[in-house]
Amino acid sequence: MEKETLVFGPVKITNKYLIQGFNLINDRFGIKELLDDEVFEKIAPGHLGLWSCFGGISFFIFMMQVVTGLLLMIYYQPNIDVAHASITKIMNEVPFGWLMRGMHAWGANLMIVTILIHMSKIYVSGIYKAPRELNWIVGVHLFLLTTGLAFSGYLLPWTQLAYWATVVGTETPAAVPYIGEYIRYAMRGGEEIGQVTLTRFFAIHVCILPLVTAGAIGAHLVQIRRQGIAGPC
Amino acid sequence: MAHATKFTKKKECEVKAIPYEEKKRLVREGKAHWFFPHHIVEQMVICMTIIMIMVTLSTLFPAHLGPMADPFDTPAHIKPEWYFLPAFYTLKFAQYFEFLGAWAPKLLGIVIQGIAVTLLIFVPILDMGGAERRPSRRPIAMILGGVGVFLTLLFGFLGHIA
Repeated sequence: MEKETLVFGPVKITNKYLIQGFNLINDRFGIKELLDDEVFEKIAPGHLGLWSCFGGISFFIFMMQVVTGLLLMIYYQPNIDVAHASITKIMNEVPFGWLMRGMHAWGANLMIVTILIHMSKIYVSGIYKAPRELNWIVGVHLFLLTTGLAFSGYLLPWTQLAYWATVVGTETPAAVPYIGEYIRYAMRGGEEIGQVTLTRFFAIHVCILPLVTAGAIGAHLVQIRRQGIAGPC
Repeated sequence: MAHATKFTKKKECEVKAIPYEEKKRLVREGKAHWFFPHHIVEQMVICMTIIMIMVTLSTLFPAHLGPMADPFDTPAHIKPEWYFLPAFYTLKFAQYFEFLGAWAPKLLGIVIQGIAVTLLIFVPILDMGGAERRPSRRPIAMILGGVGVFLTLLFGFLGHIA
């Protein structure tokens, strides 16, 4: 009698309990076909080269920022009186707090570097051309969203440098004709930078921009899947 | 053979439709890799390397925490992070246009940035070079891109030393 085998690409499973367990799930959700198509019988283009990795690396760093950011959020307090002290506590008392903050800060810098490398590669190889025009546009917006995340996150430790950089940064859009004053007012939540500013920068940094960025990344990836990898010139 | 030469340019759904035996042949001929385990292992090595770099940097150069904000004490030199230096210097650069009137510096500072970002967004539409993708055949795009990078780096450097 031939033994029952479950084949996942190069992996062959003959253990009957494992097969029964898998069938328990597969009979209900039909995941075998999905796993074959998306994992075990899937092929990826060979030798794409290091320069093609930077989009994926940027995405990975984004996910790392989400993880380290969530951990920092557990101890951080968005209050102008105690924000700085809460960061000091994260750095000095919280186990591995220094590491999470370090990785979050370095991650922000590295993410901008990797996005710029990714963008240069796409530009030089002409990958933004038809049919991928819209994906370039989504990508530029992703870069702008990243700078927005960097700008809003920079204020949160409520340091002298962050405060005054934000004063200059929120002053800039005030030069826009007609609506500039309103933009500045909306960014600061008033005439001056204070508690209201910190609260809205916190909301923007930990909720609004990450959600929008995640959505834009989704749109970016869906287009890549529909259009395929561009391949060499 | 059509599969073999052009499959990298195929859509996900088209790659999926390639028969399993054909996929095996592509892998044997070195034109493709298996997603599992080859590609996944490759991705994991890259991810681990990134984590390693981030941990090493955070350990050797820990995140700095400056003194607490004091709204009544304006520091002598306010400088943004490096990635905002080109934008920062654009504002300074616009001050050279003061001779146009009091309105000019502030408005031009933001208008120049707005134009730069708009140009970047509409690159695919502005590029008149057709479908040609090889950099060597797109001298205008390469020169304009180079000028853009040069100006950004120059403004960043000038912002750094300002």
